[in-house]
Amino acid sequence: MEWSAFFLQQIINAIFLGSIYSLIALGYTMVYGIIELINFAHGELFTAGAFIGVIVLTALQQAGFVETHFILTMIIVFVLSMAYVAVLGVAVEHVAYRPLRTSSRLSALLSALGMSIFLSNGMMLSQGVSDRPYPQVFGLEGIEFMGARISNGQIFIILLSFALMIGLQLFVHRTRLGKAMRATAQNKTMARILGIDIDQTIRITFMIGPALGAAAGVMVGLQYGAVRFDMGFIFMIKAFAAAILGGIGSIPGAVLGGMIIGTIEVMWAAFLPSAWKDVTTFTVLILVLYLKPAGLLGESDAEARV
Amino acid sequence: MIRQELKKLVIYGFFLAILLIPMLGFRSTTFEPGRAFKTLGVFMAILILNLALKIFRNRRGKEAVVKKSWTERTGEYINRLPKTFTIGGLLLVAILFPIFGDNYVIDVGITCLIYVCLGLGLNIVVGLCGLLDLGYIAFYAVGAYTYSLLNLTFGLSFWSALPIGIVLGMMVGCVIGYPTLKMRGDYLAIVTLGFGEIVRLVLNNWDSLTAGPNGLFGMKRPAVYYPSFSEDGFAWAVYYLKSLPALYYFILVITIFTIVGVRRLDNSRIGRAWIAIREDEVAAELSGVPTTWIKLLAYALGAAFASVAGAFFAAKLSYTNPNFFLFMESCIVLCIVVLGGVGSIPGIIVAAFVLIGAPEIFRGLENYRMLAFGGIMTTMMVLKPEGLIPASRRKRELHENQEALPED
Amino acid sequence: MKRVGIVFLCVALILGFQGFAMAKTLKIGTLSPLTGPYAQDGTDILQGVKTAVAVYGPVKGYDSVEVIPGDSACDGGKATMAANKLINSGVNVVVGAYCSSATEPAQIPLMEAKVVQITPASTNERLTAKGYEYFFRMPPRDDVQAWSTVQFLEKKLKAKTMALVDDKQTYTAGLTENITKFAKEKNLVKIVAHEYITPGDSDFTAVLTKLKRIDPDVVYMGVYQPEGSKMIQQARKLGMRSTFLSEDAVFHPKFLEVGGPSAEGVYLTFAQAPDTPERRDFIKTYKQMWNAKAVGSYAYYAYDAGMMALAAIVKAGTTDADSLQKVIRGNTWPGVSGDISFDAKGDRKIAHIVWVVKDGQFVPFWDPLTGKDL
Repeated sequence: MEWSAFFLQQIINAIFLGSIYSLIALGYTMVYGIIELINFAHGELFTAGAFIGVIVLTALQQAGFVETHFILTMIIVFVLSMAYVAVLGVAVEHVAYRPLRTSSRLSALLSALGMSIFLSNGMMLSQGVSDRPYPQVFGLEGIEFMGARISNGQIFIILLSFALMIGLQLFVHRTRLGKAMRATAQNKTMARILGIDIDQTIRITFMIGPALGAAAGVMVGLQYGAVRFDMGFIFMIKAFAAAILGGIGSIPGAVLGGMIIGTIEVMWAAFLPSAWKDVTTFTVLILVLYLKPAGLLGESDAEARV
Repeated sequence: MIRQELKKLVIYGFFLAILLIPMLGFRSTTFEPGRAFKTLGVFMAILILNLALKIFRNRRGKEAVVKKSWTERTGEYINRLPKTFTIGGLLLVAILFPIFGDNYVIDVGITCLIYVCLGLGLNIVVGLCGLLDLGYIAFYAVGAYTYSLLNLTFGLSFWSALPIGIVLGMMVGCVIGYPTLKMRGDYLAIVTLGFGEIVRLVLNNWDSLTAGPNGLFGMKRPAVYYPSFSEDGFAWAVYYLKSLPALYYFILVITIFTIVGVRRLDNSRIGRAWIAIREDEVAAELSGVPTTWIKLLAYALGAAFASVAGAFFAAKLSYTNPNFFLFMESCIVLCIVVLGGVGSIPGIIVAAFVLIGAPEIFRGLENYRMLAFGGIMTTMMVLKPEGLIPASRRKRELHENQEALPED
Repeated sequence: MKRVGIVFLCVALILGFQGFAMAKTLKIGTLSPLTGPYAQDGTDILQGVKTAVAVYGPVKGYDSVEVIPGDSACDGGKATMAANKLINSGVNVVVGAYCSSATEPAQIPLMEAKVVQITPASTNERLTAKGYEYFFRMPPRDDVQAWSTVQFLEKKLKAKTMALVDDKQTYTAGLTENITKFAKEKNLVKIVAHEYITPGDSDFTAVLTKLKRIDPDVVYMGVYQPEGSKMIQQARKLGMRSTFLSEDAVFHPKFLEVGGPSAEGVYLTFAQAPDTPERRDFIKTYKQMWNAKAVGSYAYYAYDAGMMALAAIVKAGTTDADSLQKVIRGNTWPGVSGDISFDAKGDRKIAHIVWVVKDGQFVPFWDPLTGKDL
């Protein structure tokens, strides 16, 4: 395999990993932007989406749907898992974050942590401790060009995640609800005075953010073949780093951060001792934040948010 | 009012059903709604109970004076007793504890005390100075590995290795603290998290120094030197603290030192400087507090306490391994601090025992243990965000906001 | 009249309690990760021991046998606490733990309390190198496994180049270290790359692409099953041509389930599994008792450990650790994983064979000791 093919293949790997991190990071960034809380339970919402996905997909596969109506199956799987996690997200917000909106950030953080433990153990108890295999609907085939291979599954997932990200951007900038979200994120009191229903807006944020995480969960399941109750943890840390790297609260920032983290991870492992790839990821994060304390695309009015 | 509450109940029930039935009902490939309905029933029962309590309290409480919660009343009662009495009583219990407990209970006690030290150390960083540190466990690791390496390579005893461990911990604290000086809140969180992970990964990957994932083993336990008189004259004999009660007393002494140390810091000029930074950093800077130094000092001192705890931990287990220092451990220590009441020393002590001891007591629940743990944590935060035994200043802050906002 | 009744009641209660105290219960403790990423194997171990207790039936000299579970969560600190708790509950034998990094610290309290400990899964050589006479090991050791692997590479596959991948944990790193050592002895197989992955990660395409460029004859996956299943899928998707080889942690029905068609042709080292009627009976009983689709690899060892412990206690006539360990060492025991006998250090005299995944099943392939196909 010549170097050009090698490089190209690694770029494909990086884009794929990056888009998954971006999707999850978007969930973090949206929630943080609006209530200034690190949603520790996001990793579990991501996992829950993956589980619902596997349940629906297995059911559909048994009914023989997958071969005949492939696109329809995919739509059903994604829509159902995103809808479920949207409801779950609102429930988590209602139970664990709403009562603490006026309290200190630390208490809310701990409530989030408690929720995260509760959900992950809940999933362990309800869905079992071992890996749950995903039906291999995409198979091993793919397209090969210039010596690099991209599998069908990867193409589908990359396209879908970009579609979701573009959809989100359109939603936030072109619709009334999106405008309400941006207004609430900027200045809650003012938004309330102007007649925006804060609770409703927050609820909608908690539907969309986790839903994106759920989509990422289904994608991870489809591509990597298995889901387990604790798989959210590592993704959560990396996506959280991505969201902060890009500037938390900024949607393009989350996408950029996700891509950067994915690229660092893949490129370091590709050319340098792979044992240190995680150390590198965190070191780069710290360096960037040292130079730009608000993240790459974040607002530098961090003073306003103490 | 009741109609409204009942409506809420129905809505909650509906949503709970939507959430629980898919997750609990589909095991493997079959649909078994039995489990889902049972869990749904449990949740609904809790909600109905809650409603009944509210109605009950409403019926009675219209004329009654606002009664203080029972924790506050016990707190006041304890406060009224002479201080020496309470502290003397606690000390007595702590000293007599190993006589009545078996090995397992003493072991749990030792672990709780280690976490008390960790909680108090993190309290300096998070509680007093307001710096959200999610990578605190790194200092614990530094202390543990320093002792292990010094003991195994150079044969240094616990006492000689301890100061070196403390100094190293403080240096690492400054290294971690320095880049974060300009960062706020949640950015600080991820950076400290990153540092914690970096330390752990370095320990895991640097095989030649730390034996990587195999861990280090065979460290000698801490030893006590006592004078012994034999025919040859005066000599120092060594007594290795191997038994669990001996180790327990050792950590008890360490904990008492930590408590006294943190208490003195709390009431000192440095402590007040930290609190000033926590409340409003800009104002503190303008009032002449050298924020840079003071923040670094917070990290360094917090790290020092953690190093001591870490060295003891490695000595007790006679084994150390990078997997002891995962991010989850940092979270647990943070939980101890916040649950106990940020900045409150008795609160943190109680919280350490509750958080570490309770899962052990709940072992009977087996798999439901961690589930209960998470649920209790969230519930505690929702009901009492200031913690179990809050520092008095904190409580007024939090509940002030609650009264100011109109009811939604 | 009332007073007499009360006295009568008290006497009856006291006698009843004596009856309770008189009931001699044999307590077997298990130490395995019941929570955390290895909870599946941990549960397999617990279930294996419980199956043994159920199948063995009544034990002579005891009214009942109780299995007390302990959760090691693959963490040394928690394992030690759980071990202490088991010691307090008065267990006579402990079957555990799973991760070598949990077994090692737990050995200290257990050996001091003179409790016989049989590990059904920890393979790190150090565990039997300390001279603990109450410690026994069911599966074969890492260095034996590494030796078998290198034999396979040199004699059967005749591979010239090999790449190692491990996840830097005690067990896997120990294996790759030993493989490197054995390969260097004769220098027939050259190790061209040694890459690392993070346990818990899902995406290994970066490292695999790196290996694809180097194109070694063999890639050794020194990982646990969750990572192994994902890794082999990604490797096939990338179109890698190397032969894949792995070890006993990946040898698990889940690997077949999750890996699917990608798992075909993967070689694995694992202990022999003679297809005896006892083994088939055990599989049937286990699947029935636990409603399981397949029997986890460590359940066999745990079952054997349980059966052997019970048989040894009956034979020794006592649960005293010194006599028990003599009896265990001095005899050969039947087991579903083969005949069980131990050497002076507590290691089991058992060898590995090389298996291959064929048509979605594990099939014996080659024996390193004899050099013959199976």
